[in-house]
Amino acid sequence: MPLWFIRGLRRGVVTTRYPARPDDSAALLPTPPSFRPGALTIAVADRLAQVCPSRALTREGEVLLYDVGACTACGRCRAEVPAAVTDSGQFELAATIRARLIKRIPLADGGRAPGSGAEVSP
Amino acid sequence: MTAIQRDLAGRDPGLAGLLAALGQDGPAAGGPVITADVPAGRLEDAVRRIAARPAARLADVFASAADRGDAVILRLIWGLDADHAYLVTESVIEAERYPSLSDIAPAAFYEECEIYEQFGIRPAGTKPLNRVALPPIADCDLPRLGRAPAPPPADVHAPHVVGGHAFEFPFGPVRQVGVESLYYGLVTSGEEVVDLYLFTWHKYRGVEWRLQGRTPRDALFHVERTEGLGAVGPAWAFAAAAEAALGLAPPPQAERSRAIALELDRLYNHAAATAALCQSTGLVIGQAAAEIALERLLRLNAAAFGHRYLFGVVDIGGAAAGPDAAALRRDLPGAYGELRRAADALLSTNSFLDRLEATGILSQEAAARLGLVGPVARATGLPIDVRADHPASPYAELLPEVATADGGDVLARFRVMLAEAAESVRLIEEMLGAGAGPGRAEPSGGAGGAGSDAAASGLGWAESCRGEALAWVALDDRGRITRARLRPASVRNWRGFDDACRSQNVFTDIPIIEASFWLTVAGTAR
Repeated sequence: MPLWFIRGLRRGVVTTRYPARPDDSAALLPTPPSFRPGALTIAVADRLAQVCPSRALTREGEVLLYDVGACTACGRCRAEVPAAVTDSGQFELAATIRARLIKRIPLADGGRAPGSGAEVSP
Repeated sequence: MTAIQRDLAGRDPGLAGLLAALGQDGPAAGGPVITADVPAGRLEDAVRRIAARPAARLADVFASAADRGDAVILRLIWGLDADHAYLVTESVIEAERYPSLSDIAPAAFYEECEIYEQFGIRPAGTKPLNRVALPPIADCDLPRLGRAPAPPPADVHAPHVVGGHAFEFPFGPVRQVGVESLYYGLVTSGEEVVDLYLFTWHKYRGVEWRLQGRTPRDALFHVERTEGLGAVGPAWAFAAAAEAALGLAPPPQAERSRAIALELDRLYNHAAATAALCQSTGLVIGQAAAEIALERLLRLNAAAFGHRYLFGVVDIGGAAAGPDAAALRRDLPGAYGELRRAADALLSTNSFLDRLEATGILSQEAAARLGLVGPVARATGLPIDVRADHPASPYAELLPEVATADGGDVLARFRVMLAEAAESVRLIEEMLGAGAGPGRAEPSGGAGGAGSDAAASGLGWAESCRGEALAWVALDDRGRITRARLRPASVRNWRGFDDACRSQNVFTDIPIIEASFWLTVAGTAR
């Protein structure tokens, strides 16, 4: 057993500086998507809701509801409509209130034409 | 795995006689999966004949609702390992009872209980059944594949009597931090484990029920999450089953991608089991050393395939992702070296080995009788490994060396895992050399393909980190799932856990035995 003590001392501390500094491995993590309202129509929103296996994406009238808490970052929405969906690169998703994890993305012009506005990220 | 075609020429002549007795002719039985219709009246005789065959093991039993009335189709999957084939028998059960399979093949008992809860039919005789699948929640409409049993299943629990100075207490399902929830009843007279009863139904999710009506590609997302830790094996088995039904042949580079992911899956799980063994024996520095290796392997997974737990690699018809060969060649030796150094140090630590040796012993006879698979079976000397017994591309061209051990104790299981980890590294290097990448075969719309008129079914298999994973899929004429059967290795191996715990062990041995089995409760309570 003393050998293990020495072995542990010799190996030293193995950890990262996260969260004080970003961790290199974060770049390798799949992250939830961001949405470009400019490319979102009702038809696109329905396709996205259809492929989402965890029901994180649903359409409610002229709004795309994006439940970040239900998203598993599987990437199916990005693969389905790459013009409308990108990787957010964000994985620090904690919120103190559940409702803050649900994003409402308006489909402009009643969803008949692509909307406008800033990209919506988790 | 996607099966390669073989013929009867390389098989034992006795197999042809067996198949003839089951009503199958030679040419029809030439592939790697043989299907035989067995009338319910001849089922008992058929099971006796097959079970008597050397190296035949009952790999799974499951039921499906028949097209007409209340009839149920009972399917038995046999691994004819010496003949490199699977035999699937199909029997239509019209009555509420069918011949007791577990009286002939004891490995069938768990599935008899499950089929009773899911479909309401039970084996003949008065043998009491255990509750294994659906939680005993009154007035709750749980996802069920068939009709509920006529009498409530609560009335048919196998009673157990605790006598003498022994007493029983429940343990779980919430246990220590970071350990999957599991509920078991411990019978003890003080410190020795007299008996142990597993309860896995509290985690029932109805995954097989949820797959119905989905396309195989849509269903794959859920299949990958059946076990969580060890996504590639069940996903590959499921994809292969769908491919067999659809008549798809994945491109070779995609098959090698799957195989590399499968070996990485094995590596990180064996590292995690090593860390768990250290934790259960109180060797915290050893645990930290193994967890450093584990973290490096998980990061390597992310670098190679974009996901730490290798989700999203397997696709129906091929692989959705190919490995980053440069990252693997650069980082795999270091990550594996970390595990090897920790393992070498553990193997020279007497206080650690003392806890493992003669703990949780399983005999080879028990492993064969219960139909165990994977490192648990191989540690008893049974060389069961579907990569070698049912070789499919790319393993047909690159056969792995199957690691076995004698003794059947925790130490034997640990040694088997370490030998397998070394072999996985070799296989990854070889397959990288042969070339691996994403790729997918698309349905042609021909026989069995989506869009054809014919409904189809298929069986798939893979050697996951825990052993043989099986999947059986039936598709309708629109290519949607009408029945999917998932049988991860955990389903088989939990039934050996209580036997191992009973073999003259004390309370503190249970976590050590559990770490050496390295199973998931989720895989069973799917």
